[in-house]
Amino acid sequence: MPEAILALTDITVQFGALKAVNQVSLSLMAGERRAVLGPNGAGKTTLFNAITGAIFPNAGRVMWEGGEITRMSPQRRAHRGVARTFQITNLFGQLSVAENMRLAARGLSASKFALFGQDRLSAAQSAQVAAALAMSGLAGQEAVIVKTMSYGEQRQLEVAMALVGTPRLLLLDEPAAGLSPSERGRLAEIIRNLPRDLTLVLIEHDMDLALALVDSVTVMQNGQVIVEASPSEIRTNALVQDVYLGKPHEVRLSDAPTY
Amino acid sequence: MTKLLTNRRAFLAGTAALAMPNIVRAQEARPIKIGLMAPLTGVVAAGGKEIVEGFQMYWEQNNMTVAGRKVEITVEDDASNPDTALQKARRLVEQGNVDFLFGNLLANTGLAVANYVKGTGTPYFIPVIAADDLTQRARIPNVIRVAGYSASQTSRPLADWAFKQGYRKIATVSQDYTFGHEQCGGFAQTFTELGGKITDQFWHPLNTADYSPYLGQLANAGVDAVFAMETGADASRFITQYASFGLKGRIPLLGCMNATDQSVIRTMSNEAEGIVTCAHFAEGSKEPVTVKFVAEYEKRYQKMPSIYGFSHYSGAMWVAEALAKIGAKVEDRDLFLKTVLATELVGSPLGKIVKLDSYGNPIYDLSIRKVEKRADGKLWNVPFETYPQVSQFWKYTPETYMKQPPYSRNFQGIKA
Amino acid sequence: MMLSRPYALAGAAFLACVPLVLPSYYVSVATQILIFSVLTMSIDVLAGFTGRTPLCFGAIFGTSAYVVLYTFSVFGWPWPLAMICGVLGASLLALLFAALAVRTSGVYFLLLTLALGLIVWGICLRWTPVTGGENGLRTELRQSLGLSARGLYACVALVVGVVTFAMWRFVRSPFGLTLRGIKEGEGRMASLGYDVPLHLTIAFTAAGFFAGIAGVLYAVFNDFVSPSTVQLAQSVSGLLMAIVGGIGTLFGGFVGAFVIIALEQAVSSVTERWPMVLGLTFIAIMIFAPEGVIGKARLLLTKSHNIDPDGVGR
Repeated sequence: MPEAILALTDITVQFGALKAVNQVSLSLMAGERRAVLGPNGAGKTTLFNAITGAIFPNAGRVMWEGGEITRMSPQRRAHRGVARTFQITNLFGQLSVAENMRLAARGLSASKFALFGQDRLSAAQSAQVAAALAMSGLAGQEAVIVKTMSYGEQRQLEVAMALVGTPRLLLLDEPAAGLSPSERGRLAEIIRNLPRDLTLVLIEHDMDLALALVDSVTVMQNGQVIVEASPSEIRTNALVQDVYLGKPHEVRLSDAPTY
Repeated sequence: MTKLLTNRRAFLAGTAALAMPNIVRAQEARPIKIGLMAPLTGVVAAGGKEIVEGFQMYWEQNNMTVAGRKVEITVEDDASNPDTALQKARRLVEQGNVDFLFGNLLANTGLAVANYVKGTGTPYFIPVIAADDLTQRARIPNVIRVAGYSASQTSRPLADWAFKQGYRKIATVSQDYTFGHEQCGGFAQTFTELGGKITDQFWHPLNTADYSPYLGQLANAGVDAVFAMETGADASRFITQYASFGLKGRIPLLGCMNATDQSVIRTMSNEAEGIVTCAHFAEGSKEPVTVKFVAEYEKRYQKMPSIYGFSHYSGAMWVAEALAKIGAKVEDRDLFLKTVLATELVGSPLGKIVKLDSYGNPIYDLSIRKVEKRADGKLWNVPFETYPQVSQFWKYTPETYMKQPPYSRNFQGIKA
Repeated sequence: MMLSRPYALAGAAFLACVPLVLPSYYVSVATQILIFSVLTMSIDVLAGFTGRTPLCFGAIFGTSAYVVLYTFSVFGWPWPLAMICGVLGASLLALLFAALAVRTSGVYFLLLTLALGLIVWGICLRWTPVTGGENGLRTELRQSLGLSARGLYACVALVVGVVTFAMWRFVRSPFGLTLRGIKEGEGRMASLGYDVPLHLTIAFTAAGFFAGIAGVLYAVFNDFVSPSTVQLAQSVSGLLMAIVGGIGTLFGGFVGAFVIIALEQAVSSVTERWPMVLGLTFIAIMIFAPEGVIGKARLLLTKSHNIDPDGVGR
């Protein structure tokens, strides 16, 4: 059996007396696409943040590509090929799509320190940006100021920015939150067509969307993993039906940030 | 507003000139232009206004003329800030083409302007700027302290007088800046050279609100007297708190002249009574000229003259007398400056003849004065003893004197 | 975001012609405006591009002037060396301030930089043997350079031209874009791989470097420096100029410095209530053009001609 590329061991994150994540272990193979599901308060986003480095766990280890990154800052993780999108859109709204992409493209290169140079990308970077924009369905929109774009387009740009550094691990934080059904379909299409060698972790409220996109599913409740299975098994799992799918409408309609 | 009434007058004079072109052209050269700088805004704005009042009063009494030549005064606000003072000096000289500059109050504004006129050669008269070095180690020939004094000059006779009263141990309290260091230095050096002892020196920042830490220590220091170097609002706060701590009457209080200047004591009452200071001017003097000047000033401005008003009145008089001697030929700068240096001030509110030393600082008969109540209950400084012919160098030769470093917090000239 | 080339050239040509038409005193005022434009633009580099508003740039500017005058007059160093030391001194001070302040933002950054500036002011006021206390330092640097008012203006204009170009390139560079990114979202920048405090430190130091050049020019211009040059009021007035010109416009620095200094000049000779007039003017600008003069002009242009306000289409 091949070794896991991302391995979480006994991760615990505590907020005061509350154990938001309690001894969670998780492992992904290279190229695997995993959804983390669960009701509000299950600990999904906290677990996600422990992987991105936005918070450090109180206990446990995060291993990525064979090295420990448990207490590594987000920008150093970025240099190791970890990219993420944000649940609440976190783009540079006053800047254009091209400028957002330039920032994304240079994050990992020394050219960001050119103090007096021309603000142009290298040929290789330009190609990466063009590819990422094309993959996200935003080709030709370079000059648009981000805050003037629709919400759906902004989510697409989130993905494009995460892709431009050609990451090996992509963490998607509720990419479809707040999107209309047609926008969801479009986004699902974009995610489905991402390169197959990209390892992907997806947090998503929308069960149907998530199950259609991933190879495996982790279901959490009260900070713990209750089920880990394939999408088809999840659909028929009684326990999951109980804690989660039993009240699909309530869950699906809830777009509020989880924590 | 800044050009005050003078410009309106100048304008009226101009209109009159148009009406009678022949007469005027025959007898009048262009007016003499004077640039007066005073802090009309900022921390010492009150003193600045009195600078303008005193200066204005002299020229108005003399019909804005000297030796038949009209005088035009432009007033600029130095904002109590040296950068602004410099900018205004530049404006007066380069744009206003003034024949000479006058005024400023704070030492740093005066020093900034002096450094500028060093390059332009513009005569600059400083009746209030007391920074020692301007007429000593860093003398600039075109900067003259008419009717002014150098900071350490007046505190020396006071130290001598204090020693003669039998005081042997004195503590000083002073604002912590150069003017304070210099005044205290003059006092401390003279007093210790006579054999007295300076037990403590307290330095506090400008604008100190609460003096209790210092007063507590003074009360228990076992000193014969206290010398206070305070100006403006600090002075009135210090004097008030000195009295409310019960030190008034227990430990005699001596001060620099600014501590009991009219600008400070005119709003005070009993608490300031009895403080002894030393100065060239005393509004409570019985000299007829002084009595007349104080009465006129009071009539005009409803208050007794402060050091600022007095000095600029007398300074104007001094320069005017020099100009009168040379037919108001202000254009010949060398002659003008030489004449000012050689002119003796006669008939000023001081009631005595004053001359300048060769460094451009006056030699005065200095008065030891005490704050008393006038018949109408207002406080004033009444002189009771005179130290004749006191120069800025006291009893030393200028050469010996200037060999020692300028006074600072670290150098007070104290003889152990 | 940027003035186009014709505007910039027209501006430069205008500045070059100033001394040919103005009487000597106004040439001095124009010199002063140019010097403060550089200070203002250096503040704008931080306030407008990183979103960190500093209240210590008067101190950095003044420190440069102190170092120039001290090394020139006390050490007797040649003027070019003294000037280099001034700029270096300001840059090092900015680096020190940056190290202490870049991890804060918003009102905390404002207050921390204010406190740091006050410390410099306190040192200049108290360290009398070196700084001359409240009386400051005086030299004859300008006199020894033998510069007339017009000559000095020409030199200053040349330096200001070069420095302005450098600042313009700085904010338009890849690094400048990272600053705008930081202003928009620090968390996002970190997850993209940027070391935000490092970028802010570089920006702060560079801004201090530019302010230091302004300080050198001011030292030559005045031949004098005192604590009033490093005091809070200086930092505040620089910031006001930046706000009046338009935060984040860079060239607004020229407009802000011109408006404030010209107004000060004009009003202070008419009434001693000039600080009030300045205050009211500032309030009026805040109410009617909170984005500053340049910012407002650009908005109006955008409305009437539908020009892309950020000039991204260039």
